Amino acid sequence: MINAPPALTPRQRAWRRFKRNRAAVISGLFLALVVLVVLVGPAICPYSPNALSEAQFQPPNLRHWFGTDVHGRDLLVRVLMGARLSLLVGATGAGVSLVIGVIWGAVAGYLGGRWDSAMMRAVDVLYSLPSVVFVIVLITTLEQLFKNWLSRLVSIESDSTVRLLFLFVGLGAVSWLTMARIVRGQVLSLRTRGFVEASRALGANEVRILWRHILPNMYGIIIVYLVLTVPAVILSESFLSYLGLGIQPPQASLGSLIADGAGQINPIRIYWWLIVMPGGILVAMLLALNFLGDGLRDALDPLAES
Amino acid sequence: MSFSWQSVYRFLTRAVVGGLLLFSCAGCGSRAEQRADLVIINGAEPESLDPAIVTGQPDIRVAGALFEGLVRNDPHTGAPVPGLAERWEISDDGRLYTFYLRTNAQWSTGEPIMARDVVYSWRRVLSPETASDYAGQLFYIKNAEEFNRGEIKDPSRVGIKAIGPRTVRVELTGPVPFFLDLCTLPTLAVVPEWTIERYGDRWLMARPLPVSGPYELVSWRINDRIRLRKNRRYWDVAHTQNDRVDVLPVGSANTALNLYETGAADIVWDKELAPSELLDVLLKRPDFHTFDYLGTYFIRINVTRKPFDDPRVRRALAMAIDKTRIVEKITRAGEKIATHLTPPGIPHYDPPNGLGYDPETARRLLAEAGYPGGKGFPTFQYMFNAAAGGAAKTHEKIAVELQQMWRQELGIHMELRQAEWKVFLAAQSALDYDLCRSSWVGDYNDPNTFLDLFMSWSGNNRTGWKDPDYDRLLREANSRADPAARATLLQAAEALLVRDAVPVLPLFFYRGISYYDSTKIQGIYPNILDQHPINAVRKVR
Repeated sequence: MINAPPALTPRQRAWRRFKRNRAAVISGLFLALVVLVVLVGPAICPYSPNALSEAQFQPPNLRHWFGTDVHGRDLLVRVLMGARLSLLVGATGAGVSLVIGVIWGAVAGYLGGRWDSAMMRAVDVLYSLPSVVFVIVLITTLEQLFKNWLSRLVSIESDSTVRLLFLFVGLGAVSWLTMARIVRGQVLSLRTRGFVEASRALGANEVRILWRHILPNMYGIIIVYLVLTVPAVILSESFLSYLGLGIQPPQASLGSLIADGAGQINPIRIYWWLIVMPGGILVAMLLALNFLGDGLRDALDPLAES
Repeated sequence: MSFSWQSVYRFLTRAVVGGLLLFSCAGCGSRAEQRADLVIINGAEPESLDPAIVTGQPDIRVAGALFEGLVRNDPHTGAPVPGLAERWEISDDGRLYTFYLRTNAQWSTGEPIMARDVVYSWRRVLSPETASDYAGQLFYIKNAEEFNRGEIKDPSRVGIKAIGPRTVRVELTGPVPFFLDLCTLPTLAVVPEWTIERYGDRWLMARPLPVSGPYELVSWRINDRIRLRKNRRYWDVAHTQNDRVDVLPVGSANTALNLYETGAADIVWDKELAPSELLDVLLKRPDFHTFDYLGTYFIRINVTRKPFDDPRVRRALAMAIDKTRIVEKITRAGEKIATHLTPPGIPHYDPPNGLGYDPETARRLLAEAGYPGGKGFPTFQYMFNAAAGGAAKTHEKIAVELQQMWRQELGIHMELRQAEWKVFLAAQSALDYDLCRSSWVGDYNDPNTFLDLFMSWSGNNRTGWKDPDYDRLLREANSRADPAARATLLQAAEALLVRDAVPVLPLFFYRGISYYDSTKIQGIYPNILDQHPINAVRKVR
């Protein structure tokens, strides 16, 4: 009798592969830590992110770990709030791109033929537009309309909420293109497989086939691209905030904090902590998200079995 | 594949592309082009260079170099000295001015400048079609206000007449003591009739553009530079110091400082272009020059909107601002805090004190107005102008301070809205704001240059506040020849403005900072009007 090792499920094998990728594991742990600190930190921190104080431009010290800014506000708690907002925008934007991208790609791939051509040419056209410029145009032209429309539905307390919603939608709306292409390619190859044919022969309707049989086979790749979309959206948001089009003061995102710090670059004297602290956190977060995404892709790719 | 170089590479590519996007505009201004003899950083991009339209200080500096009036500013004191007019006579009652133009005054295209050009230029400012915000500067001329309002259609009834080919007679409504100062403003400069009639609104694009001042306009590239060239037909060309001058629109103090430090600019002379965080170091350097001048930083309140139509609310806002903190922590150039609008230092005038810092009374006033503890007070917007490049932050910093002060002291919530300069001015004129930052720099050495802003008819009022009592006090003051009686009336008017009605909240009086190496640049003299004619500035090699 041969003592065969217990057969591993694909999920277990993926987990094994993932664990072997040290950069991805460390990145994952780091991100978990960041999320925890960003959620809990501001509550523990003795300073409020917007309260003015007399302690202006203090370098990092024991009382203010990240130093203070021009208004005497504690930078640590502002960076935490900024990272929270950046992560929120990144996650929501990626979520919006997930919904649009998956539906668009799956429908195009499944229907095929003319529908497919038309839908994918639309994606090509959108691809050719510079996405950040597109969002800028979107924000400057449609924000007022959006605000008016929204204020008819619900009573909005503040403009910054509108801007935040707009960032969610706008950034998500330009980030779904790659997702749509990938999903469509997968659907094209999956829809001719035997199990799809079988369920079609058994009389299942199209929505059910897509939802129950095709989508579950794409979880891996969707998760990978979702994780890779988050840093792209965060970077776009930081760029917009840097230009003054993103988060409005006194709220801060990492991008607007970096913009404040960059305003201090001059040949005379640099308050380095104002740019190094938020910049360092942003770089670390983006790096970790990219490593994590790549690690997940390698782990979930069945052909990568060595 | 445990550590993927591919992913590092991909990440770096993204980071580099992102970085390039962020900084791609750093090189925008550095097109390979010969440097002008003198490069001046002048503040915001001018809204216009049409003398009849300009109101902003950066615009006025350039427009003043292109078009001259009958009288110009002395570079030392800013006082009125002969310009296109070589001399003038004033009647004994102070109501009749006769100007005699120079025989050698001519346009840059060679035609002589005649009395009818002056009459045309002034009527153009007054014409309702021009919609000049500064038309009010001419309302001291007989029938000018009526003509501007359209009540008088016949321009010949306005008190400006060419009584000879080179003689202009002006009839005033009263003995206005500052009329010659008014004549130095670009608003009253002489502009070329035939060019304007031919090209209409786009007349500044005409080449060659006939100008009456010391410089010709070579090119105007938005957000890049305005290039000026010496006008060789200017009557005083012998004293024009530089052949070519570049005027750079830079809104960011750090950009200005960087350009100056790297030698790309010779002079930085706008009030907001010294980075306030560095003033403790910079003000000790010999190339940084500070001076007092007539400039006030204040907040306009749109009194046509609720709840700001209630003077108690406006007074509460005024009394909850800790102005000392703003000048000590944010602006940091040694500014004096302001409770009144007119800066100190104007001869024969002692401005009345306005509302001081008193959060207790502020809370009580707000409660009386129906918003105890800020309850029920709507969220409102504070508009300020964002500087070009998105980096100049003084206005934003002041806004953030105000936001927190009013939230802490009064429990009311304010949002910030930053707008580009032209959008900002347009929104101000259209009263499309709740509160907005403002500043005013005196055009002449008299309280009237500040106080007449808030007359009901003034194009620079921009608050929606109208009070016939205020108008009457100012009119009466300006018809008095006796300085003491006049001062009393002006004080009464200002007290009404800053104590009772409070459509504006003065924050502080500017302290001028300009920076240039005084061993290389000469001809800039500190004066209370902050007037430094470009043609007097000399570069020593």
